[in-house]
Amino acid sequence: MRVVIAEDNALLREGMVLLLTSAGHEVVAVASSGPEVLPALLDHRPDVAVLDVRMPPGFRDEGLRAALAARAELPGLPVLVLSQYVEETYAAELLGGGASGVGYLLKDRVGRVDEFLDALERVADGGTALDPEVVTELLTRRRDDPLDSLTPREREVLQLMAEGRDNATIASLLVVSDRAVSKHIGNVFAKLGLPPSDSGHRRVLAVLAYLNKA
Amino acid sequence: MAQLGKAAGLAIASYLFAALILFTAVVTLLVVGAAVLPETVLLLRRTAGLKRRLVADWSGVPVPEAYAPLTGGVRARVRTALDDPGTWRDLRWLTAHFVYGCALMYVAIPLCILGLLVDGFWCGLLRQRAVALPLLDRLADLDAAWSRALLLPSPKAQRNADLAERVEELTLTRAGAVAAHGAELRRIERDLHDGTQARLVALSMRVGLARRAYDKDPVAARKLLDDAQEQAEEALTELRHVVRGIHPPILTDRGLLGAVRALAAGSGLDVTVTARGVEDAAGQAVRAPAAVEAAAYFVVAEALTNAAKHSGADRATVELFREGGVLGIAVRDEGRGGAEGGAGGGTGAGGGTGLLGMRRRVAALDGTLTVTSPTGGPTVIEVELPCAW
Repeated sequence: MRVVIAEDNALLREGMVLLLTSAGHEVVAVASSGPEVLPALLDHRPDVAVLDVRMPPGFRDEGLRAALAARAELPGLPVLVLSQYVEETYAAELLGGGASGVGYLLKDRVGRVDEFLDALERVADGGTALDPEVVTELLTRRRDDPLDSLTPREREVLQLMAEGRDNATIASLLVVSDRAVSKHIGNVFAKLGLPPSDSGHRRVLAVLAYLNKA
Repeated sequence: MAQLGKAAGLAIASYLFAALILFTAVVTLLVVGAAVLPETVLLLRRTAGLKRRLVADWSGVPVPEAYAPLTGGVRARVRTALDDPGTWRDLRWLTAHFVYGCALMYVAIPLCILGLLVDGFWCGLLRQRAVALPLLDRLADLDAAWSRALLLPSPKAQRNADLAERVEELTLTRAGAVAAHGAELRRIERDLHDGTQARLVALSMRVGLARRAYDKDPVAARKLLDDAQEQAEEALTELRHVVRGIHPPILTDRGLLGAVRALAAGSGLDVTVTARGVEDAAGQAVRAPAAVEAAAYFVVAEALTNAAKHSGADRATVELFREGGVLGIAVRDEGRGGAEGGAGGGTGAGGGTGLLGMRRRVAALDGTLTVTSPTGGPTVIEVELPCAW
């Protein structure tokens, strides 16, 4: 895949280039400050962009704003936003333009190389990758509602669905069969009163919309 | 009558005071007895203070007092005593009071006798209203009015006193802020030292062990590397918590309003956020000092957490406003109230400690926090933080 990286910290930037090239991807451009990001994306139109939230010159949320601007210019451009910390608000803003081809992960996750690369490919393919911490926050916030009626296993399945995993991955992570996963998903949707949804980003959106409802 | 009696007594006492003042003036001029001067001035202040109390008791309105404190060496104390306009005002009062105090006494004594005769016999027999004795009260009023006029500190002295009081208050809150800052630094140091640093040491050890095992026992090496990665992730998680506790990153990114909106969205309540004057015409956040923003953020976070946990309400409002040199915050929920009292169920315990933390944080910045939470609600927490914008 052709990847554009935006990261101001040289150490992390080099690390990311090393990681991606060793996995067989091609890093076509690197941006080290906010204003460089959008032109790089428009010039190279990569398969996926990996963007850091906080970058010079303001060290605020330049990367996030660049991601939103790029997706406004190039609808559907897959972006994976990385951050030192996660904020639900940022996740909501990123998903506001559709969950297709959107990733929002803690930088820490890069350490789990295989999982990170998997998330990157998922986003590039138009899927979703939402950090478990965001999902946990969403899940723990809601109380005294149908979420309480879920079994622990169904809760785990819901968490993984909201992170953007597909059925096969959920099955392998929970060490159960695909059929068992399908059954759990059916139960979750029935208990939450959601219309059954195919896998993919529509399902993620339905689940997130449900969790976000105050 | 007793009031006039005291006034007369004090007037006669001031006669004796005149001798003391004369003595002080002489010894001070002779330099050898300069130390007497401040003591005399203190005595003068106490005498004037006694009169102030008497006037306040009689009229029910306190008479303010404003003196420069007499501190330092003899020379400094003598200079302050002489420079303080209060000293000269007190002397003026003492002289005047001697005159009108005696004069009132001379009027009061015959009036008193007359009053007993006229009111006691005449009115008493004919059941008429007393005529003469109430006049004594009017005389006491007169004494109180004149004394108040003479004893009120000059506007300048009053201003100086107000400033001195403000300085004392600021010194106290500043000491509080420094102590709070120190405690905060120690907490951060402990968190980093016991948590993150220890984890990184453990991580480094595991990497070292994995290197030793690498050739001989690849399976064990792999296990050690897995552990090491877990340690690294835990260290990162801890570090994130420490950073959040120092200064929430979203404040840096989005300013106070953006951060509060994020809090509102994540609170689990239906929160309406309104803001006045915290953004400029272009919608850019007008930034308050970082410490003020952080305190405001923690107050809103704590208030919303309490509302979600204890109040039973499902909606709340947050108001941010900027007025002059003040950042104002008002958080209101329509819950069951009783947050201050600590009686109603679990409301008090959680709310209480949270409120204490909020109060400390706000006080450290010289701000004010008011909680209104009658049983049955609503709970309103209002905070004002002074700050330059």
